[in-house]
Amino acid sequence: MIDMSHVGYIDPNYIFYIKDLKVYFTKGGFLSKPHTTKAIDGVNLKIRRKEVLALVGESGSGKTTLGRTLIGLQKPTSGQVIYNRDGNNPIVIDPKVKQIKKIRRELQMIYQDPYSSIDPYMKVYDAIAQPLKYAGVKSKEEINKKIEQSLKMVGLPFDLIQNYVFQLSGGQRQRLSIARALSLDPKFLVADEPVTMLDASLKGEIVELLSKINKETGITILFITHELPIAKIIANRIAVMYKGKIVESGNAKTVLTDPLHPYTKALLEAYPKIDPTLKDTYKTINVKEEGKVISNGCPFYDRCPFATQKCFEQNPELKEISADHEVACWLY
Amino acid sequence: MPILTIKNLSIHFYTPKGVRKAVDRVDLELNKGEVVGIAGESGSGKSTLALGIMRLINYPGKIVSGEIYFNEENILKMSEDDFNKKIRWKKIAMIFQGSMNGFTPVFKIGDQIREVMEIHGYNGDYDKRIKELLNMVELDESVANKYPHELSGGMRQRAFIAMALALNPEILICDEPTTALDVITQAKILNLLKKLKKELNLSIIFITHDLALLSEISDKLYIMYAGAIMERGDSLQIYKNPKHPYTQLLMEAIADINKDYIKGIPGFMPDLANLPNGCRFSNRCPFAMDICKKKEPELKRLDGDRYVSCWLY
Repeated sequence: MIDMSHVGYIDPNYIFYIKDLKVYFTKGGFLSKPHTTKAIDGVNLKIRRKEVLALVGESGSGKTTLGRTLIGLQKPTSGQVIYNRDGNNPIVIDPKVKQIKKIRRELQMIYQDPYSSIDPYMKVYDAIAQPLKYAGVKSKEEINKKIEQSLKMVGLPFDLIQNYVFQLSGGQRQRLSIARALSLDPKFLVADEPVTMLDASLKGEIVELLSKINKETGITILFITHELPIAKIIANRIAVMYKGKIVESGNAKTVLTDPLHPYTKALLEAYPKIDPTLKDTYKTINVKEEGKVISNGCPFYDRCPFATQKCFEQNPELKEISADHEVACWLY
Repeated sequence: MPILTIKNLSIHFYTPKGVRKAVDRVDLELNKGEVVGIAGESGSGKSTLALGIMRLINYPGKIVSGEIYFNEENILKMSEDDFNKKIRWKKIAMIFQGSMNGFTPVFKIGDQIREVMEIHGYNGDYDKRIKELLNMVELDESVANKYPHELSGGMRQRAFIAMALALNPEILICDEPTTALDVITQAKILNLLKKLKKELNLSIIFITHDLALLSEISDKLYIMYAGAIMERGDSLQIYKNPKHPYTQLLMEAIADINKDYIKGIPGFMPDLANLPNGCRFSNRCPFAMDICKKKEPELKRLDGDRYVSCWLY
């Protein structure tokens, strides 16, 4: 077993502890100058058991990388991800460690595009049975039972098992990928933009389904999205990510009704609202275009209307402002 | 007299699986200085309609019937050469969803705008016009000397809008112009389009799946489903009081920051090669009656410019 003595006290109410996590990608270096992308740059975050945490941010902010690192698909450059499976058996997640195989099953992921995340020439039965076989389920009866249960859970008819995946519609495919993840009895599910590729008429159904699964089975869900309204509907808590850092986190309602970070404020201001009376008015967006300023300070420095010299020099840490509401900004 | 009038336009795609009616007997009117919004889900035919106006439908697609009038001239009757010289990019220009990726990476932005102007026969001072265009879209004049990779996605989309406006068109078709951009950039581009509409008295056709976004810019609204117009009319009226069951359900399905729920619409869109006999929404409609499965409703005028294609009215 891994030495856990340095981890310190682990609260059983939390399923994940993320400590000063950094994931850097380095490209080039043979003939060209190596270029390092800081996908995750010092993230500290705790995920509560049985909650839906929405991770919100624009593309390139590091949301997906964080999700992949949590379930052991990506090796951290530094820092730690501690998975606290049942309250008193914390495990450090690291894809290189052998123990990871035993817990992979408990950590599942569903992907954005249901058209490319499942082999279209597989039968529905095999699409669910294959991961079960890899996870070590041998008896045919148990596999059948699991398939039946998980299809029922996501609202797909059992007769579908002999159909090919390409015969399913987009919404059905996304249900299938959820069923596939559920068949393994996960404790934690990363839902990476699961409704982004779906049409408006289908989004609601999938959001409702994931919400139902969370309530009925108590599976903790990390819901990655760039759509704030969707986060509002499904999440208990929200973490806003910008350029590899968490800039604000807390109770979903509090963050959305009383945003603190200038970036969160700008996001909420900019988000389109169903209001046809706005057609002759302009929106006030104070945020500047992204520049190419390299600073050791706040990641939002170059766009922030309130930026000072301090913001350029020093990175603000997440600070608790009120109960369950943290922000990383020198204004507070 | 509207600046653009579409009458009974049908665009079909002849595929091995049958004839797909991507656009099915569509009427549309665009007045000078007005924004017409076209909303619909993917596969509803909204982009095909836009490409049809630009006469960019390629094999196996074909415009099978209908008329498109620019002012009083039927642009479908013009020869391709004539259309290219007189209308395309000169009178009607278009920006696309991924158009910020449409620049060649190896040439400077200014040179690419210049090339478009040369091809479409601009007479005048090219350098002056390019500077003017960049100012218009709120970009620095130095952008003309930059390569596309030196600009952010939002800046490239602005540059593309500048390119679309190069020959001072009267109509700008925007096909999901902000879908690939982040929310803050999207709001800024929307501000820019509103400003251009006012300053240049530009007429805009704005196509998107995002009803919330559309509500913030459109004067008139067209709701498309499986190739046909389900409802059309004044934008304010439709958002306040949607008549067609599809419009009503679609409004419920849109996530909005002021809402605590979204609802899905059960079922899925019919195959465009195999449309039902009756109303194309009847298989998903909670109010479907016998007649809905048998006979297709016509786009009926309710009052003013409000039209609905539904047997309930």
